[in-house]
Amino acid sequence: MIHIIDYGMGNLGSMRNMFKRIGANVKVESNPAELAHARKLVLPGVGSFDAAMGRINESFGLRDLLEHKANVEKIPILGVCLGMQLLTNSSEEGELPGLGWVAAKTLRFPKKDGFKVPHMGWNVASPVRKSPLTLEVGKEARYYFVHSFCVHVEIPEQSIMKTNYAGVFDSAIARDNIYGVQFHPEKSHRFGMQFLKNFSNL
Amino acid sequence: MMQKTDLNICSRCIYDERVASIQFDSNGICNYCHQLEELSTLYSTGTPVGQKKWYDLVDEIKISGRGKKYDCIVGVSGGTDSSYMVYLAKKAGLRPLAVHYDNTWNSAIATQNIEKVLRALDVDLHTHVVNNKESDDIFRSFFFAGVAEIEAPTDLGLAEVMYRVAAKHNVKYVLEGHSFVTEGITPIGRNYFDGRYIKSIHKRFGRMKMKTYPLMTLLRFLWWTAISRVRKIRPFWYIDYDKEKARAFLEKNYDWQYYGGHHLENRMTAFFHGIYAPQKFGMDFRNNSLSALVRLGKLSREEAWSQYSKPPLIEDELITYFKKRLDLSDREYDKIMNEPPKNWTNYPTYKKRFECLRPLFFILAKSNLVPMSFYLKYCFPTKSEL
Amino acid sequence: MLRTRIIPTLLLRNESLVKTVKFGKFTYVGDPANTVRIFNELEVDELLFLDILASRKKHGPNLKVLREVADECFMPLGYGGGIKTFEDAKAVFDIGFEKVAVNFSSFENTTLINDLSKHFGSQAVIASIDVRTTLFGRKKVYTLGGKKNTRKDPIIWAKEAEEMGVGEILLTSIENEGTWNGFDYDLVKSVTDAVSVPVVAHGGAGNTEHIHKVVTNSNASAVALGSMVVFQKKGMGVLVNFPNIKFNE
Repeated sequence: MIHIIDYGMGNLGSMRNMFKRIGANVKVESNPAELAHARKLVLPGVGSFDAAMGRINESFGLRDLLEHKANVEKIPILGVCLGMQLLTNSSEEGELPGLGWVAAKTLRFPKKDGFKVPHMGWNVASPVRKSPLTLEVGKEARYYFVHSFCVHVEIPEQSIMKTNYAGVFDSAIARDNIYGVQFHPEKSHRFGMQFLKNFSNL
Repeated sequence: MMQKTDLNICSRCIYDERVASIQFDSNGICNYCHQLEELSTLYSTGTPVGQKKWYDLVDEIKISGRGKKYDCIVGVSGGTDSSYMVYLAKKAGLRPLAVHYDNTWNSAIATQNIEKVLRALDVDLHTHVVNNKESDDIFRSFFFAGVAEIEAPTDLGLAEVMYRVAAKHNVKYVLEGHSFVTEGITPIGRNYFDGRYIKSIHKRFGRMKMKTYPLMTLLRFLWWTAISRVRKIRPFWYIDYDKEKARAFLEKNYDWQYYGGHHLENRMTAFFHGIYAPQKFGMDFRNNSLSALVRLGKLSREEAWSQYSKPPLIEDELITYFKKRLDLSDREYDKIMNEPPKNWTNYPTYKKRFECLRPLFFILAKSNLVPMSFYLKYCFPTKSEL
Repeated sequence: MLRTRIIPTLLLRNESLVKTVKFGKFTYVGDPANTVRIFNELEVDELLFLDILASRKKHGPNLKVLREVADECFMPLGYGGGIKTFEDAKAVFDIGFEKVAVNFSSFENTTLINDLSKHFGSQAVIASIDVRTTLFGRKKVYTLGGKKNTRKDPIIWAKEAEEMGVGEILLTSIENEGTWNGFDYDLVKSVTDAVSVPVVAHGGAGNTEHIHKVVTNSNASAVALGSMVVFQKKGMGVLVNFPNIKFNE
């Protein structure tokens, strides 16, 4: 059973629909007591960094539970879009510290002529490292991105996909049981579906 | 070895005694097998004579179409028969206009098939799309009426649009992909429909006005057949048509996709064949195509009967979709599905009028302006079976 | 580099999908959820839904239809039509749409765009600008389905919208819509020259040359298609399709 964390931010319906379409058992859940039973977690996110971290921190028992799941139980956790940025130490978008489960920073896109921000649209993400998350991802794969800040890992081995937009950034990251994708798999047709399939098979 | 059963089954195909108006001869062969033999003889199906009849028709069509933008109409659904028919028409040098009636329940596969085939063959398309809410209202009316002919609005709607478009372009020929060899003959007597039937059911159970649905009234039907003199041609009655070969051809040349045997080209059709007809009316039409395969020697009787004995695959998603679109609660749906079926004789139809106009339709049938099967089915009193 | 987005734009009228010509006469296209299912199978980049009666009839988004549509899609969705308040927009986002487009309401409520973009991010807010040439030959912004002349110049309004925080502009040429004759290239260029947010060109696309031209010459970041994705060809019947358009990137 895959639990999608409902902390009040994110398009949960689409994520749930795609998991259902691939035949995975999925549940959207906000109650930490219920999330305690989770074997796999998805951390979605749409909106701003501080708003999201604020919600997670202020939700009674949520932050503690997530820390336990990530660092003690070490169940597979997938951060999506803003959810991936939350996995990092900090973001230039906000003041609050991130979850810090992956040694990385979330930074503004560099200003470059011809590259409008937000990075919004379909782009490619090239696998740079083997990972169970990128199994069977084809060469022609493309993904839907929509974000104004991007992630840069500190430990190169923790970057599994890179994308070039006004410079190279990490579009998918992994450290042990913690995974993150900057694009929206639930909005990327069969390309995104492959990721969710791989995650559900972990 | 045939599966053990108490039913009388035709010794040549797998129609059993439950089929309407069936009779078995002394050899156990059913009247439908015989009818097919007669039709094959009459039309010289699959023989050089039949082939020539088709070519002669093609020449007629070409002559009639001189100076016009199109010389024939082909009804398309995205399915094997109609897709192959377009190819056949183009191969014969005809200039077809494809016509599609969209009841708004089409599957993606059907739409894509139509697009691919017509693009590859460079054929224009005319579509009539009904207002989706109106379409649902009409289907809903049939459901509440408790009758089997829920597909009637679609079938008759397509017929009306084809005639109308033919008349508009002054085209005298409509090509239909019906093949009695691959589809068998639909038993007469059980199901019936005409424009008045649709109108009266909708009037009684409908919740909105009928504005965009192309209703085939008797007047329109007579106008287009007797006055506009639009003829219906069924090329597969003359030539050799192998459905499996046709599919392979379409797949290879146009990237056409087969949607399996569950009528998934249109979700209402899928619901009708897989759920509505078998569950409420005990009608399972799979024996039509299975019997056809048996007669052609492509499937053994034993294997066909074995397949037929297994219940059709029920897709829950389809039932949910049906209820959602027709705005039915679970309770309403279950109630109606479990109610005793009603019959077409319970509602006003044109039947009596057709019977009165028998002499006229005899002339039209002889002139090939209406199919002989229409004349036989509509213009004589039938024993209605419940 | 980002692919140039090609966005099928579907018009909702009551609970049916339709296609109009010059914001006038309409043809039925099909059932919203069923049609969207087809676009999903065709793996289109993005879809935009515009309810063409909502503002005129003074009602908000039809959440029931939108929910059915969102259930069928695995690509980004945008919605416009009758979004008057923050709550209207939130309800649409909650269903699973990525973006909302505002037109009429942004004139009535000048803080709406700002509020939405502050909370949901500018990339989630589109300014929908419909342009018609008046009798005097001037191009003006119209609302309420092309019926009301706001007297605003499109370039000035686009700039204002950008300042209010929109992430994108949907620029529609009313007199080109449904004609297959090509976009209003000058209009598009005048707006792309004036703003730095992406501009989606809409209204008039008839073939791939038109699409290439509005992207290359008028600098449109994306293209919204109507007639081309719902009809087989110009003057022919309804047939949902998605043209294969290659850009050299």
